[in-house]
Amino acid sequence: MLGSGLSVFSQSNVAQMSDDSSRSIELREIQVITKERTDRQRMLHFYRTNPSSTLEDILARLPELTLIRRGTYGMEPAIRSLSGGQINVLVDGMRIHGACTDKMDPATIYIEPLNLDQLQIQTGTQGFVNGSSTGGTVNLITAAPSCHTDKKLNGSITSGYQTAAKSIHEALQLNYSTGQWSFLGSSSWRKSDTYRSGGGERIAFSQYEKVNYSITAKYQLDQYNSIKADYIGDNGWNIGYPALPMDVGYAVARIGSLSFHHEQAGKPLYKWSAKLYANQVRHYMDDTHRPNVPIHMDMPGRSLTAGMFAEGALLLSRRQQLRIIADAASTRLTASMTMYEAGQPPMYMLTWPDNRKDQYGTGLSWEFRADSNWLLQSALRLDYIHTGLTTQEAKDHISILGVTDADRNELLKNLSFTSTRKINSWLKGSASIAYAERMPTATELYGFYLFNAQDGYDYLGNPGLKPEQSLQGEISLLAHGKKARFKATAFYNHIRHFISGTINPSFSTMTIGANGVKNFSTLPYATLAGLEASLLLKPVSALDIISSLRYTLGKDNNEDPLPMIAPLKNTSTIRYQFSHFFLQLETEAAANQHSVSRKYGEDKTDGYILLHTRTGCQFLIAGKKTDLQLGIDNLLDKNYHEHLDWGNIKRPGRNGYVMLRLYF
Amino acid sequence: MLLFYCLTDTVALQQLSCYAFYYLLIIYFNIDFMKKSLYLLVSVSVLCILIFLASCTKDKTEPNPVEGMTKVAEGYATGAAAKVEVYTKESSLTTGYTKFYIALYDSISGKRIDDAHIHLNPMMDMGMMQHSAPFENPASTEAENHLFPCSVTFIMSSMGGTWTLDIEVHNHVNDKEGSITLPLTVAEPASSRQKSFTAVHNGAKYFISLISPAATTSKVGINDMEIAIYKKASMMSWPADSSLSVILTPEMPTMGHGSPNNVNPVHVGNGHYKGKVNFTMTGLWRLNLDFMSGTSVADTTQYFDVTF
Repeated sequence: MLGSGLSVFSQSNVAQMSDDSSRSIELREIQVITKERTDRQRMLHFYRTNPSSTLEDILARLPELTLIRRGTYGMEPAIRSLSGGQINVLVDGMRIHGACTDKMDPATIYIEPLNLDQLQIQTGTQGFVNGSSTGGTVNLITAAPSCHTDKKLNGSITSGYQTAAKSIHEALQLNYSTGQWSFLGSSSWRKSDTYRSGGGERIAFSQYEKVNYSITAKYQLDQYNSIKADYIGDNGWNIGYPALPMDVGYAVARIGSLSFHHEQAGKPLYKWSAKLYANQVRHYMDDTHRPNVPIHMDMPGRSLTAGMFAEGALLLSRRQQLRIIADAASTRLTASMTMYEAGQPPMYMLTWPDNRKDQYGTGLSWEFRADSNWLLQSALRLDYIHTGLTTQEAKDHISILGVTDADRNELLKNLSFTSTRKINSWLKGSASIAYAERMPTATELYGFYLFNAQDGYDYLGNPGLKPEQSLQGEISLLAHGKKARFKATAFYNHIRHFISGTINPSFSTMTIGANGVKNFSTLPYATLAGLEASLLLKPVSALDIISSLRYTLGKDNNEDPLPMIAPLKNTSTIRYQFSHFFLQLETEAAANQHSVSRKYGEDKTDGYILLHTRTGCQFLIAGKKTDLQLGIDNLLDKNYHEHLDWGNIKRPGRNGYVMLRLYF
Repeated sequence: MLLFYCLTDTVALQQLSCYAFYYLLIIYFNIDFMKKSLYLLVSVSVLCILIFLASCTKDKTEPNPVEGMTKVAEGYATGAAAKVEVYTKESSLTTGYTKFYIALYDSISGKRIDDAHIHLNPMMDMGMMQHSAPFENPASTEAENHLFPCSVTFIMSSMGGTWTLDIEVHNHVNDKEGSITLPLTVAEPASSRQKSFTAVHNGAKYFISLISPAATTSKVGINDMEIAIYKKASMMSWPADSSLSVILTPEMPTMGHGSPNNVNPVHVGNGHYKGKVNFTMTGLWRLNLDFMSGTSVADTTQYFDVTF
């Protein structure tokens, strides 16, 4: 992956496990990086995903992550079954709040795999340094322009097609550098029709179309300092959500930042950076294309976030290192719903009464190498958070719920300790313990008759909700030899004040056909326990075998199962590579999920086994490197859905694809 | 900065970011032209602020007490040497509880009369018969802000006959008494604010009026709810009633849902009942009202529609 990227064809996705609790994955294909990224221990393994696939396809293959699916597009990531406000989903460290009250727009949709440099996933015990959270952090690091002095324009053109949804994907990436200045621009267009599920049925309202573009300009001030400006634009339209009663007419995101970077090896403060950012998301849901709706409605929403942060890495001594982050961010949200009935004035209400959240926080992560076999780590995070309603109209809405003062001020505290011990030359053990808190979300505090299509209830916010408090522990074992690497992690998470919905029988539903009204309230506690294991084998240099397994058990205080818990799942990949050609076979197997939450409208989900194949080769066209990949997902045309798929909407059936990428 | 400029939609923020941008340019490039234009910008802003502040400290002439009100009738109360002007806050008269504001002037000097005893007597002449209607005389002989608030509840429109309002004035300034009869035209509103029912428990006829919420003042949120209940004792006697209890159940007939945490109107005096009604969205709301006399049902069929 290092050196001249142009000569390094190969593995599109490289995973490195920098330490035992965080994982970052490099996905860049062309990289011209002159210096090594980190000196940390690396484990490389290769996930061969389709380069024309979405980021979600890549996320779904990681053992710590699950995806909650409401449509083909815009799946919500969950770390160890925690999602939404329980985790941070960051883009280059920036907070981006979705503008959709139904969480159809997680920040992950704004990053095309083409633009993604690294994917950092930090689980609970380490995951709060960038922001108080009980679940962890997904940080999407976008690609920076590569710096060279030849003043030549280079880049790639990608074109792909998938049969199940007759989807087209076209992308262009351009890099230009003068040495001091360097620019990276990319754009991509995806158009997807409704897809066919296993067995041949077309899934209505599963289409989407989107355009994504990004521009990055970097100016190298001197050897150590640089300034970078980033802009990402994302426009989606006609996005169907088969599991919801509405679709998305359009969704627009504008994400911009300006940052300063300093890096000087050998100095105690060897790396620091500061960033100013702002982003806006507009999301417009409607049901105008749906047949037989009782009343037509529109649900527009908007989020505006501005923030800044500074972070630095400091070598305290040869054995001690400190990472510090200080950040502040402010988010304003508003969403409304208007229903139209002929001959009547429109019925209008705020579903997210105008609200804001101001957050000021600082995080510390300390690493102490006690001796050559023993590593101690500690992380700390403090957040001061203010939330409140910003308009009289919003306050009037919430007053109906009997709330006179909806403002909240909270100081959130997070602390963790990790001890990693080398047991012998090939075995390493690690244990960590953490206390973490997270703020209730705008939906949980101020949501006003938000319909949840999964359990069929209208949800009402509760401005008095206490922050969730988590006490969690994690133990992992890492064994590594020359040809094999094995890691197993067990975790336990006890969450006090677990936020969930309680039926309020005295309230009448707002949504026609809803089952009732639920108030967000806190359960005394809930627990999550699970296991993750991954095995990497490289018996001969041409052969790679990767297998990962995960299992999670979630219970509330009454020993009832928690909703949205994925069943036991294994993904195994075998790949054979010779010269510029590779062949890959992948199986994806999930067990039955019979431990379901009826209260949240869940039902049992059957297990399944899928088979995916892929082949690819690299050749030269007119002296230019060209990359061709072909594959068939769900080869056996299995008709299935995953447990986390809302509405039991079937997943795509047999899906053939072809992708051609031309580098120049 | 430009980024901020693009992302903010408030003019103030844009202006601010504009200044900041200019300032940065000045610092970095020390451009004279920029400097001058910044000074210009700043001085223009300062001027704007001064003008704004000046407009806040306006002249201190007394505001007109009937500002925004409609004069529905006027005339001279013969004998009391007083000119009578009758105002409402509505643009026209409709059936239901109608608040009037009476202004009295000395008929010669034109000076306001702020101390008088006023007595109303509304009358409906239907040709074959006549009847009165519920009304409320001004509570005090002292004017409030030069006006005497009072009310008449028009239980029907002028379609069925002729409404007149007798106003007897005892002018305390000159200690003279007189009266005037003013004709009034009362229309049926788009959405009725006046209902009546014959009670199940005692067979008496009750007239109920919706005072608030009005369509114009309704909002999504908690709204003050006020109704007035009058009992028809005879054609000429319509006393206020305090004997009934009221159960309020708002609903949106289009959607078939209600709203939470409403407060049933309770009697607060003179036949007025006050409570709270919660609207969770705009549109057509139906305020269903059940009337009880102790534990016996008086009526369960009445409702008022409010559209906003």
